[in-house]
Amino acid sequence: MNFSLPHIGPEFYVAALPVLILSLGSVFAMLQGVYKNIGSENAVFGVLVLALLGALTGVFLGQPTGEATYLDGAYLAGALGKVGQTLILTIALVITLAYRETFLRQKFFRGEITSLFMMIVAGMLVMVASEELVTLFVGLELSSIGLYAVVGYLNPSRRSQEGAIKYFVLGSFASAILLFGFGLLYASTGSLRLSEIAEAVPKLLDHNWVRLGVLFTLAGLGFKLALAPFHLWAPDTYEAAPTGITAFMATSVKVMILVVAMRLFAGSLSLLYEVWLPALMFLAILSMILGNIMALVQTSLKRMLAYSSIAHSGYMAIAICAIGGASGEFPVAAILYYLVGYAIISLGAFCVLMWLENEENDNLLLDDLAGLGKKHPWAAFALAVFMFSFAGMPPTVGFMGKFFVFNAALSNQLYSLVIIGVIGSSISLFYYLRVIVRMYMAEPVKVAVPLAPSRSFVMVGILALALLSNLLLGTLLPESAMNVFRATSQDVASR
Amino acid sequence: MDLINSHILSILTFVPLLTCFGVLACPSLTTARWVSMGGAIVAFLASLHVWYWFDGNTPGLQFTEAYAWIPTFGIKFIMGIDGLNLLLVVLTTFLTPLILLSVWHVDEAKQKAFLALFMLLECGMLGALVAFDLVFFYVFWEAMLIPMYFIIGIWGGSNRIYATTKFIIYTFVASLFMLAAMITLYILHFEQTGVYSTSLLDLYGTSPLYETQLWLFAAFAVAFAVKVPMFPFHTWLPDAHTEAPTTGSVILAGVLLKMGTYGLIRFAIPMFPEAAQTFAPLMVALGTIGIIYGALNAWMQKDAKKMVAFSSVSHLGFVVIGSIALVSGGSALSAEAMTGAVYQQINHGISTGALFFLVGVIYERRHTRMLSDFGGLAKVMPWFAVMLIVATLSSVGLPGTGGFVGEFLILLGTYLSNSFAALFASLGVLLGAVYMLTLCRKILFGPITHPENAELQDLTPREFGYLAPLAILAIVMGVAPNLFLDKIRPSIEHLANNYKAYRLVAEEESHKMPPIGTVRPSPVLTKVATAVSHGSQAESERERGAP
Repeated sequence: MNFSLPHIGPEFYVAALPVLILSLGSVFAMLQGVYKNIGSENAVFGVLVLALLGALTGVFLGQPTGEATYLDGAYLAGALGKVGQTLILTIALVITLAYRETFLRQKFFRGEITSLFMMIVAGMLVMVASEELVTLFVGLELSSIGLYAVVGYLNPSRRSQEGAIKYFVLGSFASAILLFGFGLLYASTGSLRLSEIAEAVPKLLDHNWVRLGVLFTLAGLGFKLALAPFHLWAPDTYEAAPTGITAFMATSVKVMILVVAMRLFAGSLSLLYEVWLPALMFLAILSMILGNIMALVQTSLKRMLAYSSIAHSGYMAIAICAIGGASGEFPVAAILYYLVGYAIISLGAFCVLMWLENEENDNLLLDDLAGLGKKHPWAAFALAVFMFSFAGMPPTVGFMGKFFVFNAALSNQLYSLVIIGVIGSSISLFYYLRVIVRMYMAEPVKVAVPLAPSRSFVMVGILALALLSNLLLGTLLPESAMNVFRATSQDVASR
Repeated sequence: MDLINSHILSILTFVPLLTCFGVLACPSLTTARWVSMGGAIVAFLASLHVWYWFDGNTPGLQFTEAYAWIPTFGIKFIMGIDGLNLLLVVLTTFLTPLILLSVWHVDEAKQKAFLALFMLLECGMLGALVAFDLVFFYVFWEAMLIPMYFIIGIWGGSNRIYATTKFIIYTFVASLFMLAAMITLYILHFEQTGVYSTSLLDLYGTSPLYETQLWLFAAFAVAFAVKVPMFPFHTWLPDAHTEAPTTGSVILAGVLLKMGTYGLIRFAIPMFPEAAQTFAPLMVALGTIGIIYGALNAWMQKDAKKMVAFSSVSHLGFVVIGSIALVSGGSALSAEAMTGAVYQQINHGISTGALFFLVGVIYERRHTRMLSDFGGLAKVMPWFAVMLIVATLSSVGLPGTGGFVGEFLILLGTYLSNSFAALFASLGVLLGAVYMLTLCRKILFGPITHPENAELQDLTPREFGYLAPLAILAIVMGVAPNLFLDKIRPSIEHLANNYKAYRLVAEEESHKMPPIGTVRPSPVLTKVATAVSHGSQAESERERGAP
């Protein structure tokens, strides 16, 4: 192997503009953290928004058409990475804007925290735009380490710290497992680049190290995606984190991991599907059953959404399983569609929670929602729509996502997964309906802390946007969205 | 006229949706009432337009509209009318204004939301009825549940949350299996033809293997059986009916339940004919059990509304056996029985709708529905008595009412193939007379045992206004059935005779109707699917420009 430093041309800086901008922003924010007298929290907020907007512009303007790799594959500019980066940046931007007031109250825009946040986003951007195992891992760790810190920053309470520590310990463990898997892949194939691994794999189909490497990689990714039985951290961590961070974790981490999973399983490791398919099917089935059943008995909304997110990871895993079959193009498009839909629904639902929270009560219980339909009809209406979307009722994006995922799975004869998925959805309807029952049909119980909605104009606007895009993607726009995603998936399938 | 005819089904379906938004935007309840009533009447007029211009000489699909929706997956937005859904569409739009009239006086804070949800429900029902694309159908089929869920859950009785949750989960679970079956069929179609399509017109031509058909038919049939509801899946119905507000019960019994039997005729039987043939004896048996079981249960009820609810289980058993009764030998479905089934759907909607309204009328006055709390009302409420008697007689199938025509045709058709089932079903008619007349007697006749009954007010003009049309229609349907049957017969006969190789052709000529007042041209029989042999059928498919 040639160890000379790779040539770094100006085109790399253009392609990697989003990552660079965020890193710079992170440094600026850090400065404010050190010298408290430079700028206010509002200035940090401004830096964050500008950096995110700049990065988003960079994604659209800077990237070359077609696919190009830099630094020996460490940075890859292509359609899938672009979709992933766009999604992650949009999620970060939406959360920053929508939750501004709450974040201000929670002292989120302190230099050090915001700096960490930007590093998390930068790490995610690196991870979705990389086809080399070490860089992938660095991106993952960059985002994970930041997240460990951000989860616990706000609340010194024991519960919150427990969630953060749990996330940290289990997360490090999972990173180690993932790294071990990567190591085995490297040891057996002799390369860290996914494209070279793909070339080596056909000769090594019966090689035990490769097979073991694939399974360890799967376990590591499964942990980050909160697939059962690697989900144990999720409920505690979701509950412990400030709601804005929970929303961010629930959506962007999924985007990051799924993009990488698609790269690996649709690309380099697709020939090894006999190894990973049964394992992933097992994870998917367990997630759908366990996630949905555990969600039934939750009383805290955030915990319920955490278990529902485990179940939704299971549905997305169904589509990844479908990649292993013959028709690899639709599954990728289906995952992306589901992912976008899920991001919209989750952000919307968490946005409503954020709307209703206040200082005393930042962990809403189901019973707190009683009578919401009368007190705050619009918040209740929005939450009801999001709950129906989660359950996959038409005419929402949730239904279309489910339709595409089932379609991908049935095209590849994965009948058992679809049947479990159907049963899981049926169970899930019950707990989503519990929210609606509380809001519209139950009499308001006397709550200790009255819900006082903050009326941030931006938040209401974003909520309206989420509602609208939810309904439009479910009715008028699936075709346009699918066309975009199919173009992306052709890019993946051709590799 | 051309423009209206070619978009009439879109107008019909989406006027209620627009009305729903309109109602939400209204500043006051009074305007909201008028807006919703206006929208409902426009939809009713649109359905009358369809009814008037519907060409009753061809089994083809008329007023067809097709738009691309998700072309990548071959999902289209296809709407059409034929003899199978024509009457149900008219029934839906006919019942909606009456229901709105029945809640005209209710003055509650949430009343605007109620009106909006109701218009949404109407849109869902009409969309599901006219849909000829599986995904399009499924979207409306499921979307229909949401307003009904809220109507029962918010305005229902004391145990409403239990009832409404049971209702939505039963239906949702069964529908999901149907969704999986739909996707499987769609993929099979792709494997056979290389074209992605969810259009019903294409999927009729897909012939899955027999073993696959059995699974697919079972998945579809369970979804529809829950909705009907057929015997082992019926337990949600009494709860939902008892807890639902009067309006909810009327629309539930009037239209929502018919979606199940309609789906059976429209989807499950023609798409999986061999499986349907295999399952036919089971379905007939379950239908017959439903008839007897529902009737016996109804007999024992002390609550008038529950009695009517169980009578629905019994009456819809007739519709189920009529839908799937084979003629002896099993080569074709019985056209008589199916005609009866389609007719009985409408008739049940009218008579049971009226019965629920009537129970609502006395409930409003006395706040009780127990039969033992009434008696002798015929003396104090003569008009109420007239209406109740007409509805009851229509429900039990007395000659001269619509119920007789429907049940007679069903029993006639069933007798030819399965005389045993017909025998038991006839027992159901007898039992029906027993419990319905018991209901009538306990409410209307005998001495007035409760003093508060002596001062009850007779029907108000408003109540008269929504009950009289139903009573009149029940009688018209009995004395002039051909007024209705003539329009629908060709479609039914086409399905019954060709269900094993069922094809449906969009009748393009129906768009080009002459203006009102001119004589209609003779129907374009060249395009009639019945007459077309297999060879020329393929040709006409090519002509339609199959993608």
